[in-house]
Amino acid sequence: MTEPAITLRTFFERAHEGQLTAVRCGACGELAIPPKELCPACHAHEWQPVQLNGEGTIASFTVIRVAPRAHAASAPYALAVVKLKEGVSILGRVIDIPLDKLAIGLRVRFRPLVSADQTSVGFGPA
Amino acid sequence: MRRVAVIGVGVTKFGLHDRTSAELFAEAAREALADAAVPASAVQALYYGNVVGGETEHQLHTGPQAASVLGIPSVPTTRFETACASSHAAFRHAVMEIAAGVSDVVLVGGAERVLNVSTAESTEYFAYASDAVWEQPLGLTFPGVFALIARAHMEKHGTTEAQMAAVAVKNHRHGVLNPKAQFQKPITVDQVLKSPYVADPLKLLDCCPFSDGGAAVVVASEEVARRHRRPVWVLASAAASDSMLLGDKRDLARVPATERAAAAAYRQAGLGPDDVDVVELHDCFTIAEIVATEGLGLFEPGAGGRAAEKGLTSLGGKIPVNPSGGLKAKGHPIGATGAAQIAEIVTQLRGEAGPRQVDGARTGLTHTLGGNTATVLVSLFGRD
Repeated sequence: MTEPAITLRTFFERAHEGQLTAVRCGACGELAIPPKELCPACHAHEWQPVQLNGEGTIASFTVIRVAPRAHAASAPYALAVVKLKEGVSILGRVIDIPLDKLAIGLRVRFRPLVSADQTSVGFGPA
Repeated sequence: MRRVAVIGVGVTKFGLHDRTSAELFAEAAREALADAAVPASAVQALYYGNVVGGETEHQLHTGPQAASVLGIPSVPTTRFETACASSHAAFRHAVMEIAAGVSDVVLVGGAERVLNVSTAESTEYFAYASDAVWEQPLGLTFPGVFALIARAHMEKHGTTEAQMAAVAVKNHRHGVLNPKAQFQKPITVDQVLKSPYVADPLKLLDCCPFSDGGAAVVVASEEVARRHRRPVWVLASAAASDSMLLGDKRDLARVPATERAAAAAYRQAGLGPDDVDVVELHDCFTIAEIVATEGLGLFEPGAGGRAAEKGLTSLGGKIPVNPSGGLKAKGHPIGATGAAQIAEIVTQLRGEAGPRQVDGARTGLTHTLGGNTATVLVSLFGRD
C-alpha cells in the first residue's frame, strides 16, 4: 500500500461533511485518530479508514477564559477530550452546550467546527 | 562513560527586563564561568535553550547569537527547543558529550524574553508548542492543557482546588527567600481561590507568570572538576517523550513521560525516590507540581494534592520541593528554566542556599516538562 489511507485533507473534507474518520491497522486491529504513518502499537503500515459514529462522552473539559489572539473574540469557550464510543479519544471544541452543564461523562456528538478558512473538531449535544 | 560534574552556576533575576534574551544569557554565563573559575577560553561547546525568540525578538539562530553576545563567537553552538524543557535537554546533551570524552568543558544555558509583548501574544506563542493542525485551531492554551489534567485528577483522586492552592502558597513562601525570584511576597489560599479563572479549574494564581531571564551552568569532566572547590556530580540525566495529542493520553490524570524519564534516571543512578533530599520540579501550574510529585515516585498516584496540603513538600517537610520558589514564584523564562533548576540544586548540594537551604542535602533531582507534556527531562545530582 503506497497511498495513505487518509490524508489530513481528506480527513477534514469528510469532517466538513459531518463524518469523523479514524484508521484501523490491518495487522493488529489498533484504531487511531488522527491518522498516523505507522501503527503506534505494532509499527505496521496497513491502515484502512473507518467511519466513526461520532458519539462519545467527555473525559475531561476546561473553559478557556484567557485565549490566544485568534480566539480572543470567542472566549470564554469550552474544550473537551472526548472518548468516542469506538474507544479512541480526541480533543474538540464544545458547541451549543451551556458552560455550566459541562461534566465528565456527559454524552456528546461530533459536529464540525467550520470557520471561514478551515474545519476543525467540535462536539455538540448528543 | 566518564563521570561528569557541574562546576559553575549563574542565574539572572527573573521578571521584567529591558534587555535581550542574549544579554540575559550572557550575564548568567559570565557569572557561571566566574563561579567555575574557568576562563571563557576553556569552553569547548555551548548548548543553548531558547523557545520563542523568533516570535518575541525576531531572532532565530539564537545559539550563535548568544555566544557572540557573550564573547565566545567561535565555540560550536547548538540551540535546543523542547518547549519549556529546552535548556534541560541542552544540559543532557552536554553531559553526554563530556561522558563520551568529546569535550572537557561545556557551557549550558538558556534565556527567554516575553514581557516585551502582550499577554494575548505570549499566550498564542506558547500555544505553538501544541499541535498546529489538531489542537491550536481549537484555541487550546498552556493553562488549558493543565486544566484538562487538573479536572481529570480531581475526578479520579478527589484532588481539590484548595490542595492546588496550597502548592502556590508554599512556592510563594519559598520565593520570599530567593532574591532572584520574580515574586518575593507571600500569598494565601484564600487569595488563590478568589483569583479569576484562566482555564477552569485553574485560576490566575495557580499559574506561573510570564518571565524574562537567563541561566547558565558549566559542565565539566571529572579531571577538570577535581580541580574545583566543590563539584556537584551528575548521577543521571534522562529524557522521555509522549504523544503531542491530548486525545492519545490513556489517563489524563498522569504524565507518562515524567514516569518514564524518572524511571530511567533512577536506574542510571542506582537510586530511588527515597534517596532524594531536595527537588526542583516543573510547577508551571499548581496541578503540574502535584502530578510531578506522583510521577517522580515521591508520593503514590493520587496522593500529591493531600501531601502538598499537609506541608510534606515545604522546606522542613518530608521532601522539600521547589525551595527556589519554583516556576510559580521564581518565574518561568521558558528557555532558561531547566538550567535555572539545575543551578538551584547545585547551590543546595553545595550548602550555599542561605535561608532556603535544605539541611544536609546530599542528593538532588531536577524535573523539567515541555509544553503539553510531550517532553520531560529528569536529572539527578550528588556531592562528594
